[in-house]
Amino acid sequence: MRTDPLRVTDYAVLSALGADRAQHLEALGAGRSGLGPAPFELPFTTAVGAVTAALPELPAALAPWSTRLARMTAQLLAQLDAPLRRARQRWRPERIAVLLGTSTAGADSTERAYRTFVQTGAFPDRYDFLRQHTFGAVLHVVQALTGAAGPAWMVSTACTSSAKPFASAQRLMQAGAIDAAIVGGVDTLCQMTLHGFEALQALDRGACRPFARDRLGISIGEGGALALVERQGDARVLVEGVGETSDAYHVSAPHPEGHGALAAMREALQQAGRRPADVDHVNAHGTGTRLNDSAEAKAIRAVFEDPVPVVSTKGYTGHTLGAAGAIEFVFAACAIEEGWIPPSLGAAPLDPEIQLHVPTAVLRTPVRRALSNSFAFGGNNVSLLVAAP
Amino acid sequence: MNGSPEVAILGVGLWLPGFPTAAAWAAGAADAAVEKPVGAALDRVNRRRASPLDRALADTVAAAVAQAGVDAATVPVVIGSSIGEAATMIGLLDELWRHGNPMSPADFTMSVHNAASGLISISTRNRGTTTSLAADHDTPAAALLEGIGLVQTRGVPVVVACGDEPAPAMLVQHAPPWSMLTAAVVLAPLTATPHLARVAVATTGTATLGFDRFPPLAIENPQIGLAALVDAVLRRTAGVVPLDNGKGRGHRAVVAPGPAA
Repeated sequence: MRTDPLRVTDYAVLSALGADRAQHLEALGAGRSGLGPAPFELPFTTAVGAVTAALPELPAALAPWSTRLARMTAQLLAQLDAPLRRARQRWRPERIAVLLGTSTAGADSTERAYRTFVQTGAFPDRYDFLRQHTFGAVLHVVQALTGAAGPAWMVSTACTSSAKPFASAQRLMQAGAIDAAIVGGVDTLCQMTLHGFEALQALDRGACRPFARDRLGISIGEGGALALVERQGDARVLVEGVGETSDAYHVSAPHPEGHGALAAMREALQQAGRRPADVDHVNAHGTGTRLNDSAEAKAIRAVFEDPVPVVSTKGYTGHTLGAAGAIEFVFAACAIEEGWIPPSLGAAPLDPEIQLHVPTAVLRTPVRRALSNSFAFGGNNVSLLVAAP
Repeated sequence: MNGSPEVAILGVGLWLPGFPTAAAWAAGAADAAVEKPVGAALDRVNRRRASPLDRALADTVAAAVAQAGVDAATVPVVIGSSIGEAATMIGLLDELWRHGNPMSPADFTMSVHNAASGLISISTRNRGTTTSLAADHDTPAAALLEGIGLVQTRGVPVVVACGDEPAPAMLVQHAPPWSMLTAAVVLAPLTATPHLARVAVATTGTATLGFDRFPPLAIENPQIGLAALVDAVLRRTAGVVPLDNGKGRGHRAVVAPGPAA
């Protein structure tokens, strides 16, 4: 089954590395991590990737929807101001979709409000579950800020949440239902996810070290990325294929042989009519847990006969959960546009069992195509095949 | 977008208090003893993990898939829910903030929005595409559009299910409460015969069908639109079904009976 490539005419990114693409490139090129102490008190030690960029306040009419999640989204939209203006001139509002992903939604707002409720017996006056917590709340903000009036939904499949909307956009575009879409996702740091991964004994006490011999787990991060996809226009990159599979194995552990991951990568290639040899780089899910990195490495080795440079960028941003798919799409796009692959931060000394080509210094090489992997609770797997136009 | 392509409906499922199946609903045979979903479609281990919403969604999906005669191990699954596992989340926060207890790792993993789709995939050994999405009161329209997109691009049947548990009362003090409801349809290319009905999603149009057959607490549920579509299919009625209860963007499902089997 072949699908038409998705034309990405522009994109925006926000994470612990910075407030725009240039700041991200500078940090990736310098091998500089954005991980550091948590910005709030925790009863355990871990490193997190917190966004420190200034976030815009929403217009007064949207004040009831104002959350950190919504303001991060507004910051991303501001980065895309010019291309969005151009898209609005090209396409009718009802032909512009908003297809986003998040895992946390407004959990950070709800957990603060609930703490107040436990302490005082009442929620804060300005807390509004339906406008600040629900998965659909940010959709309203994006539609109001951009005028997009086409189909709109929030995918929430844990850590594949913001990769899946690329597949949704591809389908709607191919079905002729839309001409453009704002695609991507956002997630915020919150106590619940940090406590949850601590309970799973999955957190590294310091910065995560994906693929390293002595890796100890993940670091959580926050941020987001948005891509503008259009039926016509100068594409910066293409999304040629999106593989979507399930492990059907366990709610929180990956299949140890990486079967679902392998199937997702192969499906992405098949959709595009490409062979593994056409791929020059893999941005791995690479969380830094022993199980994930081991299973993913097996899957990558099974797909690629010849070694391909494999990098995890979680050591820079942390695992941004529902935003990881979109942020790492941007890193794959940057590798294609810039002609270099960043070092896989924290990977040295490499785990000899990984048996992948994991660059630990900047690798200057033409990148025609890159696979970007995202895997999630529920055994949900997505692989994006990103290509030069 | 003014309207989606038209697709066929091969099977339906429904769960609401008193009505554990679409057949019970069609017969109008309310059973007051039916208050909680069983989750019979989940394997024993995953049933124990599952929330009431997960159980109802799993049973509703299984019923629709069985009626459609499609393979549960390969059919793409689209799950829609407005608030998902909010009750599980509140339980976690209560443990954390009220009792100062460490978080339960099992409860944490089941607090994700895709808990139901994950459990269904594991129980049915489905290694294909599963997804979970939300769009507040427009969730039924969004889930149908995602499902129709999958049918159009892959040419295979797709199951679309939507459901919501009652929202935790302390979180939505100023909104009307709703009762639990889940509904499912199996969509397929129009070439699939026989089919129960044909459906397309429209963004405009005057609704000719409504929710008057449903209890008031069900009508407040954000997923009522998909349940109303199932009801129209069961009654072999042609018309325009509102996909939200006036709190969404006004999407419609244009439905017509298919050729009789």
